[in-house]
Amino acid sequence: MFEIISSLLKYVFITIIYIFIFGIMRLIYLDIRSMSAKNFPKAVSLPYLKLVSLKDHFNFKVEESYLLTEDTTIGRSRGNSIHIEDPFLSGRHAILTKKGGSFYIQDVGSTNGTELNGTRLGTEPVLLKDGDRIHAGQLDFLYVSGERQGEGNAADEKRP
Amino acid sequence: MKTDRKIIHVVISVCFLFFLLIAYLTYFELFVKDSVIENSYNQRLNGSENSVLRGSIFDRNGKLLAKSQINGNTQERIYPFGSLYSHIIGYDSRVYGKSLLEASYNSYLSNQYDIHSILDISGKIAGYKPSGANMSLTIDHQLQTRAEKLMRNIKGAAVVMDPKTGEILAMVSKPDFDPNGQELENNWTTLVESSDAPFVPRATQGLYPPGSTFKVVISAAAVEDGMSDMSFEDSGVITIDGKQFRNSGGNAYGKLNIQSAMAVSCNTFFAKLGTELGFENLKDAAASFGLEKEVPFDLPVSQSIFPYDEMSKTDMASVGIGQGKVLVTPLQMAMIASCIANDGVMMKPWLVKRVATVSGIQLHAGGPSVLYRSVSPETAASVKDMMVGVVEKGTGRNASIQGIHVAGKTGTAQNELTDRGKGKEHAWFIGFAPAEDPKVAVAVIAEYSGASGGSLCAPIAKELMSAWLGL
Amino acid sequence: MQLMRSAHKLPHPVYMLVLVDIFAFSLLFFRETPYDISPLIVGLSLIASILMVYFLIRGFKLGDEYIFLIVSMLFSIGAVMLYRLDSELGIKQAKWLGIGLVAFFAGYFIFGWFKVWDRLLFFYMAASMGLFAVTMGFGREIKGSNNWIVFQGFSIQTSEIAKILFLFFLASYYSQREKLFARFSKVRVTAAFMLVAYLLMGLLVLQKEWGTPLVLFLVYFAVIYIFEKDVRILLVNALAAVTAGTAGVLFVHHIRVRVDAWINPWADIAQKGYQIAQSLFAIGAGGFFGTGIGLGRPELIPEVRTDFIFSAICEEMGIFGGVAVILLFLLLVYRGFKIALRCGEVFEKTLALGITLMFAFQTFVIIGGVIKLLLLTGITLPFISYGGSSLVTNFAALGVLQRISAKQATAERSTAYEDR
Repeated sequence: MFEIISSLLKYVFITIIYIFIFGIMRLIYLDIRSMSAKNFPKAVSLPYLKLVSLKDHFNFKVEESYLLTEDTTIGRSRGNSIHIEDPFLSGRHAILTKKGGSFYIQDVGSTNGTELNGTRLGTEPVLLKDGDRIHAGQLDFLYVSGERQGEGNAADEKRP
Repeated sequence: MKTDRKIIHVVISVCFLFFLLIAYLTYFELFVKDSVIENSYNQRLNGSENSVLRGSIFDRNGKLLAKSQINGNTQERIYPFGSLYSHIIGYDSRVYGKSLLEASYNSYLSNQYDIHSILDISGKIAGYKPSGANMSLTIDHQLQTRAEKLMRNIKGAAVVMDPKTGEILAMVSKPDFDPNGQELENNWTTLVESSDAPFVPRATQGLYPPGSTFKVVISAAAVEDGMSDMSFEDSGVITIDGKQFRNSGGNAYGKLNIQSAMAVSCNTFFAKLGTELGFENLKDAAASFGLEKEVPFDLPVSQSIFPYDEMSKTDMASVGIGQGKVLVTPLQMAMIASCIANDGVMMKPWLVKRVATVSGIQLHAGGPSVLYRSVSPETAASVKDMMVGVVEKGTGRNASIQGIHVAGKTGTAQNELTDRGKGKEHAWFIGFAPAEDPKVAVAVIAEYSGASGGSLCAPIAKELMSAWLGL
Repeated sequence: MQLMRSAHKLPHPVYMLVLVDIFAFSLLFFRETPYDISPLIVGLSLIASILMVYFLIRGFKLGDEYIFLIVSMLFSIGAVMLYRLDSELGIKQAKWLGIGLVAFFAGYFIFGWFKVWDRLLFFYMAASMGLFAVTMGFGREIKGSNNWIVFQGFSIQTSEIAKILFLFFLASYYSQREKLFARFSKVRVTAAFMLVAYLLMGLLVLQKEWGTPLVLFLVYFAVIYIFEKDVRILLVNALAAVTAGTAGVLFVHHIRVRVDAWINPWADIAQKGYQIAQSLFAIGAGGFFGTGIGLGRPELIPEVRTDFIFSAICEEMGIFGGVAVILLFLLLVYRGFKIALRCGEVFEKTLALGITLMFAFQTFVIIGGVIKLLLLTGITLPFISYGGSSLVTNFAALGVLQRISAKQATAERSTAYEDR
């Protein structure tokens, strides 16, 4: 009996171990991909969202920064302009609306809510200032208005 | 940054090394494996022997030398005398396999030949493990113990045998090792890598230049070929084809015949005798004493060699004094001594007296059998006289035993280390006693000892012979 | 690439790890009747301690979270194999994991609390020599190497500690050398450094230990390749290594025996070649998928619990299992390099490199040895082989690596705030 179980389980073991290896490789791959993409806002003086959380924690794909050019929706489902598979995000979680040169943020009835600098947002749009912290799902973003791009890049370049 | 670029190089190298491992592992699995695993040392091919309790091994008087004991699911082999029989019985380790008798008699020891115990259903129900056959050896435990004590601080070997039957009475190789399971496992690496080579059973597998002990073979050839009346004026040195041969200690002995030359172990005389005998006679003599022939024995034996297809005069002179390319095992020299003792008849050596099942059915029995008739009884008798002379008034005085005549020959053999001028000669002694009716023959070697055979090995041989003769 | 992206539905690797442990230890539970509960206890305590540490790392943001996960998988594979070989051994190994994890956090926190590590160059040298003196004075020879201290029933392999000291020595030198260059000539400082490095490796050779100095030399060589700009220094060191190696093969009997066994193990299979031959038999018996746990005969492999554990893994988990182990080490090493690359400070960079390279070369040398790609040297397979000394020191080194990665993460987070 033991013989049968063991000789079947050996395939299971190998499979699981390789899934494990594959999983780790995938996380590392996502990590590298975003690393190579992280420099894109440099040349552009546009506002963007910068991920503050340590990406290594996440089992889903997330970029180091998201450029904001027009009205932007954040959420878990594919229709969003910023689509992140964070299970703690709602299907449609928050909207960033462009008015003039500035962006306004509002929660759109998400389950777990959106926080701006530690205060929970309602459905009212709130004006974003440079350096505001946005928390949604498991993610922390920094809003960078793009006007002081030079300093941000200098800090970036310290990293290889 | 430059440093980081170099780190990337190292990363790439390490990745390459790891992929090399994977590639080699795959290559091994696909192309190498099949030729490797078909090997008699692959215990996976044998299946489990654990269902049979391995047989025990006894000496000629029924003293237990090796037994197996059950510990839970596994058997453990126990050697109560530790290293004493490591070069006869060998080891039987779960991890490191089997050697010597444990290997060559494995089928008897581990298999169950006993019909009675197969039919013994009540025994099976009671949970007895069926057991393999037991062996008894020709070895005498007391003599073996004595031999080991005498050889304790020496590297080399001692073989004691009965010249008339060929029974091996004691056989010690030094250094040795403890074959008991845990000890063996813990010391394995040290033992394998030791420059003393403790795993080599020197008595049966050590090949040494015989040195002056080979003069026994040369003088036998001279007697057989009618050259024993050569007389010779020794000046301490002889030049043959430009090569000088000297007596040990630089002595000059003056006028000599074969008898007196043997007693003082005169090199110049035997170098000359070697050239007189010539290639054919030397080769025949070596062959008649079993060199260049396989030795049928219960253990693997290295073949003693006489590796000449043609010989120059200096080669003949060298062989005349037991140097040159001639190499012998200590066992072979014990057989040569036995042969002279036994009227020129060389007996086949044997070690296993009897193999029998637990219920007493005999599966194998050893017995005396003639291996070669090397020389005529007359020749043997005259060489014996010469050898008695060696012990009574020559270089072998340290082997003399009060009240009986002892025959013997010493040797101090040069080797690859003495060529570089260090005091590393092999000391030899071969002999037998009593000369009139030989009951025991010995060969003793102390390798690279730098001592002379007469001073170091003759006393050991004396102790061994008198121990066996009860004197 | 598409494959990578589409794989996001896979559960997190930590669940895979738990699954392996659950399956393997349940299997071991069914192996022998009457059923004994101890494999389940060992398995559960293994899972519990791994999960606890993993979530501590995640929860308190203690830096890179892959390296511990990878090491846990390696340890689990080793522990299963050891338990299968001898249940006593598996239980002891699980206990060593406890001590190893304490060492992990000790390495993490002690390395973090004190800020003086880079300035202790002479202390590392003195400590290595002191350790050598103690080992020579009170040491005991076990299995051919005279590098053990037996203390109240515990035997400690001092070469494991010497290894870590050597890595700190290297890191400390490269962080301090500018200061030394200011006081002495560059050539003198470099020559003195190299002499001391060879002395420290030589001390291990005197203890009849070959594997560790070989690994340390490879680490040393890679580090000087990275930091020394002068090609001549590399050449001198390569020449020294080749000379030492040739001399070793020609004049040291031990090494010659191993070389003989490596070139042709079949010539003296009964003794010199026995170990490597048994290792190859085992790997050959496994095939691609292995015999299955408990169905092979790895107990026939000599030194299977330490040097030859990889052969046992190949026998029962197959070439695929063996390759998985190699890949896991590769991932671990990759993470280590990444941490080193992100380091700004020379001391931490060198230390991270040293630790990573040590894991890499130790793995390469011992796996290469047991599959007969390289000469066999008796060292442990990190995190897999049985052995308290090696497990505890490797976990402590991992803790230091973890700390270095955590410092980076903190630094990066604060950089992000500075972006304002």
